[in-house]
Amino acid sequence: MMRNHPADHRQLEHDWYDGGLPDNVRLDEGCWLHSSYAFLHYASQRPCGVSIGKASGIYRGTFFNLGLQGEVRIGHYCTLRGVIINTNGLVDIDDYALIAHQVVISDAASAIPPARSNRKESEVAPEAAGETTRQPTIRIGRNAWIGCGAVLLAGADIGMDAIVAAGSSVNGPVPAGTLAIGNPYQLRPLKQQRS
Amino acid sequence: MSGTSATIGYGHLRGDWDYGDLPASIHLGQGCWIERRDSFERCRSQRDPAVLLGNRVQVYTWATFNLEPTGQVEVGEDSILVGPVFMCADRIQVGKRVVISYQVTLADSDFHPMDPLLREQDARAVAPGGDLSKRPPYQSAPIVIGDDVWIGIGALILKGVRIGAGARIGAGAVISRDVPAGCVMEGNPARPQ
Repeated sequence: MMRNHPADHRQLEHDWYDGGLPDNVRLDEGCWLHSSYAFLHYASQRPCGVSIGKASGIYRGTFFNLGLQGEVRIGHYCTLRGVIINTNGLVDIDDYALIAHQVVISDAASAIPPARSNRKESEVAPEAAGETTRQPTIRIGRNAWIGCGAVLLAGADIGMDAIVAAGSSVNGPVPAGTLAIGNPYQLRPLKQQRS
Repeated sequence: MSGTSATIGYGHLRGDWDYGDLPASIHLGQGCWIERRDSFERCRSQRDPAVLLGNRVQVYTWATFNLEPTGQVEVGEDSILVGPVFMCADRIQVGKRVVISYQVTLADSDFHPMDPLLREQDARAVAPGGDLSKRPPYQSAPIVIGDDVWIGIGALILKGVRIGAGARIGAGAVISRDVPAGCVMEGNPARPQ
């Protein structure tokens, strides 16, 4: 059942879902977004709620469950294979990051999609446009690899070239070139380092 | 949906693709909210009720009710089911005001025999074109979750587990034994914090 949309309604050409893209979502040249269904629980009122860099692929099963202050920045050449991002803060994903199936990136372990659960925040005005000093609540560094089913909680700070093993749960810093594995997670050096 | 004030979706249809009637054996309390009918696509229970949701239970798009013909799931009022996958061959009972977050699996059964030869027999029975009536028995035991429990992202709750009221289960925790009321459990294997 297609609805009548205003003239400026942004719809992906290939989309099976007619929800449309929110106005404050920026897609760079050559990126791929599987469907606007990713914005089913999206309430961000930031100047730019989600930005997707050039040639990054956002595939089936990915969701941006953002509260009014939620913001996700995705760099160039990233692969998001089906991740749920649940935040009212800033999630910063640098270039070349690889995020596997069934990963959840969330500010809290017992997360509920903020679009429905944080209704009281509707009285809070969005912060000023153009603000650039906001600190990420969760950061994923350049070329980091997040394995299937891993959970990244508030405080997770994944360094460049680091790997989070499948099924691990991380809520702190993982230095560059390090493997984080297990629950609670342990840190181990990776044999292969950037030369 | 007969005769209840439950709603599916946001009251305006986003498409005809997902909003047919639910089977009669799925009973919804007053004011339930179901985001997506597809959550019940794998509900093969022959019991009635197969699924019993209390008043004002919320079921998000990520929730999945995967019930064997013998399975039954009951959820208490005001619970929020964000992303539980109920793998149920016996019975899973969830209390009131429980929050279950993304990618949580609750499995009340092994679903396959532990004995290797019986498992080969099971593999032939469940193979395409196989005879499901020749499946050997496997172990199941009910799961009981108390009131006001929170279950964190990606946790795994295994068969026979009872979680006491007010307990908190951390992200990615694997729970294979009973959890006392009010306890905070984290890790794999899960330990009290």
